[in-house]
Amino acid sequence: MKSIYSFKNLFFRFLMLFCITFYFIFLSGSSVAQGSEIKYTQTLQELFQHIENQGKYTMFYQNSQVDLKRKVRIDKNQTDMNKLLSQALEGTGLNFKLIDDHIVITAKRNINKQNDGPIVRGKITDNTGETLIGVTIIVKGTTIGTVTGLDGEYELEVNNLSDTLVFSYIGFVKIEQAINGRTEINVVMQMATFALDEVVAIGYGIKKQTDIIGAVSVINTKEIASLPVSNIATAIQGKATGVSVTQNTGAPGAGTAIRIRGTGTINNNSPLFIIDGIPTQDANNLPPDNIESISILKDAAASSIYGSRASNGVVLITTKKGKEGSIKVNLNTYTGLQVVSNLTKMCDKDQYIELYNEVAKNDGRSIISPEMADSLPNTNWWNEIFKPAVITSTSINVSGGTKNTNYLVSANYFNQDGIILNSGYDKYSFRTSINSKLSDKIDIGTNLNLSNATTNRVGSSGDGYGGNGGSVVRYAYFRTPIYPVCDNNGEYIDYYPEYAEVFGDGYNPVAFAEKYDWKNKENRLLGNIFINWKITDNLTFRTDYGLDFYSTNEKRFNENWGYNGRINNPNSLQQSSVTSSQSTWKSTLTFNKTFNEKHNLNVLAGLETIKNNLEGQSGSAQNFPDQIPSLRYLSNGTKNQRVDGWQSRWALLSFFGRVSYDYKGKYYAEIVVREDGSSRFGSNYPWAFFPAAALGWRIDKEPFLCDVKFLSYLKLRTSAGILGNQQIGNYGFASLITPGSYYPFGNNSLSGYYLSRHGNANLRWESQTQFNAGLDLGLFDNKLFFVFDYYNKLTDDVLVRAPLPPSSGNATPPFINAGKIKNSGIEIEVTYKNQINKLNYNIGLVFSHSKNEVLELYRDSPIPAGRIDNGIYATLTEEGFPIGSYYLYEMEGIFQDETDIFTHAFQGNDIKPGDVKFADLSGPDGVPDGIIDSYDRTHVGSPIPDFTLGLNVGLNYKKWDFTLFVEGVYGNEIYWQVAHDIEGFYRAFNVTQRVYDSRWTGPGTSDDQPRVSWTGSTNNKKPSTRFLFDGSYLRIKNVNLGYTFSDIGKQKTIIQSLRVYLSIQNLLTFTKYPGLDPEMQTSDNSSSEGDLAKGIDWGTYPMARVFTLGFNISF
Amino acid sequence: MKKHLVIIIAILFLISSCKKFLDEQPQGPYPTAAFFQTESHAKLAVNACYEPLSFANSNNRLWVVTDVVSNDAVKGGFPGDQAEIELIDNFLIYEDNGNIETIWSIYYEGVSRCNMVLKFVPDIDMDKALQNRILGEAYFLRGYFYFQLCNIFGNIPLVLEPLLPIDMQVPNSLQEDVYLHIESDFISAFNYMEDALQANPNVYPSGEIGRATPGAAKALLAKTYLFEEKWSDAASTAEEVTAYGYLLMPVYQHNFNVIFDNNNEQIFQVQHMSEESPVQGSRLNQWLAPREQNGYGFDEPTQNFVNEFEMTEDSVYDPRLDYTVGRAGHIWFDDIEYDTSWSSTGYNQKKSLQPLSEIPASTKGDADLNFSVIRYAEVLLIQAEALCEMNNTSEAIIYLNKVRQRARECYLYDENLLGYGTIPEGLLPDVTTTDQVVLLAAIRHERRVELGFESMRYYDIIRYGREYAESAFSDKDNFDYDVHKVFPIPQSEIETNKNIKQNFGY
Repeated sequence: MKSIYSFKNLFFRFLMLFCITFYFIFLSGSSVAQGSEIKYTQTLQELFQHIENQGKYTMFYQNSQVDLKRKVRIDKNQTDMNKLLSQALEGTGLNFKLIDDHIVITAKRNINKQNDGPIVRGKITDNTGETLIGVTIIVKGTTIGTVTGLDGEYELEVNNLSDTLVFSYIGFVKIEQAINGRTEINVVMQMATFALDEVVAIGYGIKKQTDIIGAVSVINTKEIASLPVSNIATAIQGKATGVSVTQNTGAPGAGTAIRIRGTGTINNNSPLFIIDGIPTQDANNLPPDNIESISILKDAAASSIYGSRASNGVVLITTKKGKEGSIKVNLNTYTGLQVVSNLTKMCDKDQYIELYNEVAKNDGRSIISPEMADSLPNTNWWNEIFKPAVITSTSINVSGGTKNTNYLVSANYFNQDGIILNSGYDKYSFRTSINSKLSDKIDIGTNLNLSNATTNRVGSSGDGYGGNGGSVVRYAYFRTPIYPVCDNNGEYIDYYPEYAEVFGDGYNPVAFAEKYDWKNKENRLLGNIFINWKITDNLTFRTDYGLDFYSTNEKRFNENWGYNGRINNPNSLQQSSVTSSQSTWKSTLTFNKTFNEKHNLNVLAGLETIKNNLEGQSGSAQNFPDQIPSLRYLSNGTKNQRVDGWQSRWALLSFFGRVSYDYKGKYYAEIVVREDGSSRFGSNYPWAFFPAAALGWRIDKEPFLCDVKFLSYLKLRTSAGILGNQQIGNYGFASLITPGSYYPFGNNSLSGYYLSRHGNANLRWESQTQFNAGLDLGLFDNKLFFVFDYYNKLTDDVLVRAPLPPSSGNATPPFINAGKIKNSGIEIEVTYKNQINKLNYNIGLVFSHSKNEVLELYRDSPIPAGRIDNGIYATLTEEGFPIGSYYLYEMEGIFQDETDIFTHAFQGNDIKPGDVKFADLSGPDGVPDGIIDSYDRTHVGSPIPDFTLGLNVGLNYKKWDFTLFVEGVYGNEIYWQVAHDIEGFYRAFNVTQRVYDSRWTGPGTSDDQPRVSWTGSTNNKKPSTRFLFDGSYLRIKNVNLGYTFSDIGKQKTIIQSLRVYLSIQNLLTFTKYPGLDPEMQTSDNSSSEGDLAKGIDWGTYPMARVFTLGFNISF
Repeated sequence: MKKHLVIIIAILFLISSCKKFLDEQPQGPYPTAAFFQTESHAKLAVNACYEPLSFANSNNRLWVVTDVVSNDAVKGGFPGDQAEIELIDNFLIYEDNGNIETIWSIYYEGVSRCNMVLKFVPDIDMDKALQNRILGEAYFLRGYFYFQLCNIFGNIPLVLEPLLPIDMQVPNSLQEDVYLHIESDFISAFNYMEDALQANPNVYPSGEIGRATPGAAKALLAKTYLFEEKWSDAASTAEEVTAYGYLLMPVYQHNFNVIFDNNNEQIFQVQHMSEESPVQGSRLNQWLAPREQNGYGFDEPTQNFVNEFEMTEDSVYDPRLDYTVGRAGHIWFDDIEYDTSWSSTGYNQKKSLQPLSEIPASTKGDADLNFSVIRYAEVLLIQAEALCEMNNTSEAIIYLNKVRQRARECYLYDENLLGYGTIPEGLLPDVTTTDQVVLLAAIRHERRVELGFESMRYYDIIRYGREYAESAFSDKDNFDYDVHKVFPIPQSEIETNKNIKQNFGY
């Protein structure tokens, strides 16, 4: 019943999407037919603009041939474009031609010949034979020029036939051809292989890529738009060296973690995001196809201009802007189907019963009789909780501009149904960007991003310890196959208490998911306004005010259900609303001048203020007499209605400057300084200074390398500097006394206040010293390009929570500046672009290696984190090891017989052959003592990978395009916590098939899976390397095949070009990890512990495999 | 140039207002300096000191380190569930055992809250009587937390005032020194609370039952003396408790019945209340109840414990047996007969549990039954034991027999007992011996049956000495009196406190 319904639903979604698509086409079609009103007299320019503004026609003409200021007379009521134009152009010496929706204005040669020069004609195509429209052709050294028309043809009057023509087109290699007396010159243009002339966003400015001497990764945004993902972080995964992106869970709308160049600190390691100059927490509210460019600033030279917030790296995002020209409408839309993949094989009914009976025999309990077995169902819980789900995204961009003003308006709708029942994400975003020249000197502009997102949540990670309910996946792992989903009345079956020992007592995962009523709504506004004032040719002043505002509303109803109403009793509702606003005001003065055509100097000075305010209220109530959705509001709760409210603020005040100098684009030097004052450090040490310096050398420009033909680019870069980190939350300097303690005196519950946090009035900034050395090497006209970087980051005065002994109470320990952490690594990026006949191809490989080591901690006290059982922690951050490294017993094998047990270190009285054998590594005196106890735990691995790999392949053949993206992670471990329960045998939970297949059943039968026994579990499920797995994986993240109908514009349609593509996300994964998804690194249980407790899998919502069909249409 | 000037002025203005711009102070919570200023602050602060007593927190595993570990109970529950409790039951006790970690942490949090009150409340300008009451409560609670910690862990750090984080490296004190300090806390508690009552008899608001009282301080002081083997102090202090008018309840079971919470026999109880948010009801009701009633089934009584109960020649058991445990052929609660399949031993304990008619299975872990810390019957047994140790056997049997008398006279007052109205022949006769050794054994026996499953059995076994303990644990191969008389200091403390030493043998 259920599956038919969801299939119908799916079909319905597809239908909706197509209706929407056609509606938009219809809409834009109808707008063309609007009436027009034209004055009697106007200039040609006004006329052309007016025609273009109607949106149907684009004008093509040569400036040199057309006097735009010439006044023409026209008939106001004329609607026929042919008549209108012939009337208007009468006597101007101009001709026009209507080609589809293009109007090409040309001079009547015999009349308008100015100098009777010869004419050169020709056709321009790319290497696939496609004609190129809009190629600029200029006579070298003059301003005479033209552009190619729709048919790719041009006609240009030159002074004489010994001139040279220059052909240029964006994205293609510029060509110079001497005319040499010819009058017809046809040119085949080649796609540019490596566009080093691109301008790249850097802190508080832009720079040509060739002039950058810091470590900056620039991400190709073209590929991003067609990925079926909701946020930018996921889209940049594997695209840049030194950048690691992990999604917290596969649940729709789940957060992501970005780490740039390793894990630099024990507290927050998230980079700083800057969107159009405005700092923000994350970039998740921007639809990926709104992004023009992403620069990732990785080293001190690049990022130290952001001082105290830069030690985790900076992600600079520039959004798309309108461009001068006629109105452009783009519609990008895709619809995909998500399915689950890589499921852990669990036992079916027969296997479960066989195992249960074996355990019962081993432990001396009664078995499941064959008669009983016959009456039991065989439920596959994976099939019950997972379903194919639709993902769709549609965005429309309308942009255009005149010489003085450009605009862009866009809207995006994104919807993702979760592959687990009752989860989903729904987002609308809108964007406006307007830039206008008020005069030659003054520009103003604004960017505005609005979004509205609703997340339908279900438990997606952890076991509920984090306070957000356990993961649905976890309960599906647990549920024995002999439980039916529903009873005969269609009610969910919860639990059979009298048979709990056989069936188990966990939650019904289907009911658990379906009964979740947890919605999170977020409205967000991110915008800025600016004035740019060119004081002189060399001096520019810019001031910018930005606001990042959001409000969230979260509502969660815990429905009471289950056997005897045992779950969520009493029912309860929690509702909270939070508003956050961060205003940034910054002003910069830039001086830019070239002296003696040799010395290029760029000086920047600026100041910035940031004020952040967060406040919220929450309410909760219990005992709702009715549980129907329309009555799930706080006022209906009959008991324990409570309210809460909070506010938290921080401020940052900064002064900064940068001097960049280069000599003839050959020798580069740069100095950056920033002084930051933060409210987070109290009154003792609010200020800190962050300097950095960098040097660069373009060796290929040296005379001695001029003759080396294959070498096209060679630059050495090096930088060093100090950066900071202030992400420790607010008011760390103050000790706090808070309410929240309750105790009943008789029947009167009274509130109590207690010390909840220790402060430290002497807090200082965490500072990070970075060194970077890099090499850029281009060979064979940059067809082959290498970028190599080595870095070394030493974080000192690390802000850590002083590990206080529990004998001092439970108040949160204070932040202190203690500890040193080292990160070093290498990054290699190789790209190769070339073509074979009509096949263009490019291959890119990014490789990053990083090594993390804790050098010093507060009082040498290691920090345990990642609770995996009561009072037991999986990781220990200790000197000499990486942050959050696993600290466990080492499994040596399985005891095969009594002698084996007898001769091995003592593990307990009840050890039997078939139990797990642990290594005796140490004792109270630091040497093995013949007893397995907590001294024998040791560092056994780390969740931080040794290296990560990204491979991008792109192919273009005629109108076909193909991309392939592979991501690899190597050398990290994952602790599969859920295996405690599904391989641990301590109660009736379902069991993995690998246990069934390879368990110990007698001497020599297994050395990795113990005998199945509930009583043996005390020993066998000790937190050991038994549950630690190699987390390396290689994943074909995306393949995308597209076809472009570029000549569609010649037909009588309003569509100019159409690209259709098919893509598969997460196609294949190669891994040894037995859990659902090796990419899932964080859990709700330890989210507050950050990088101290990563890589613990409690059964996490996996990522889906997505099959997508998409269209990019421009009108 | 004008514009330049504007910018320069703006910058100068900004610099001058830097300090103000960056000055952000906590909104909402009190910075420490702003608290402890008024009478209401003092009241709020002392309320919070009670919270760590509560069994609303599943981490309060007092029952593990007192009953499960003893010969009264086994772990129970599903065989591999809560494996760490099994380790404790088998004396494979490691310093990273979660049960000892959590109890250490809860009770030291209690100590820390009391220390804040004791440090800052004296300086508050407020009603003197109330101030004294509050200080007395804080001394009492700190004494209680240390009493439990000291019995569980032995040589523990004595933290006596709020410390700066840098100073939180307190070394162990010897167990005997900790006891001395506990004495002094209970004496201070008594004095402050007495003073308060004398200045204003209404200093305890009528709606706030469950606060520490002078009588409670005296009773726990007597128990401390007993544990220190200061027999005469124990006896005299126990005698002084009598002055506070405590009585034995006619029906023993009423001490474990929610209707009689805070009755005249109860000197100090941990208060529980259902249906509150955050939860303030007892979770013991779920942890210790059989699975069939939506419990987890831990802490199951042993045959050895059941055998301790006296029986007449007509096979009538001491009525306290059926008040304490569920067993075959007897009513569990609510007219439901006990089913031996509920437990691995065939028994389940009842003292911390409530019938389903009071707390339904659906809210099993939110019960309102209080938890007895000390009741008058124990004070009588303290007095008997102390006197006996002083070889004043003739006086000692008086107190012992009061306890036995009440037990057998349940037959006169509890209509639910079979044969209600007459005391069965030969049931729990008065002890008449004057032989010190015999009498001491009788008193120890009486403590075991009278106070069974009230979270103190293991302390008793240990303080009775090596011989008693080794005989009690003759079936536990791993038991080593020298090591296991205390639990190990938890690993988290060892790792973070550079001045602490692990207990012997761990």
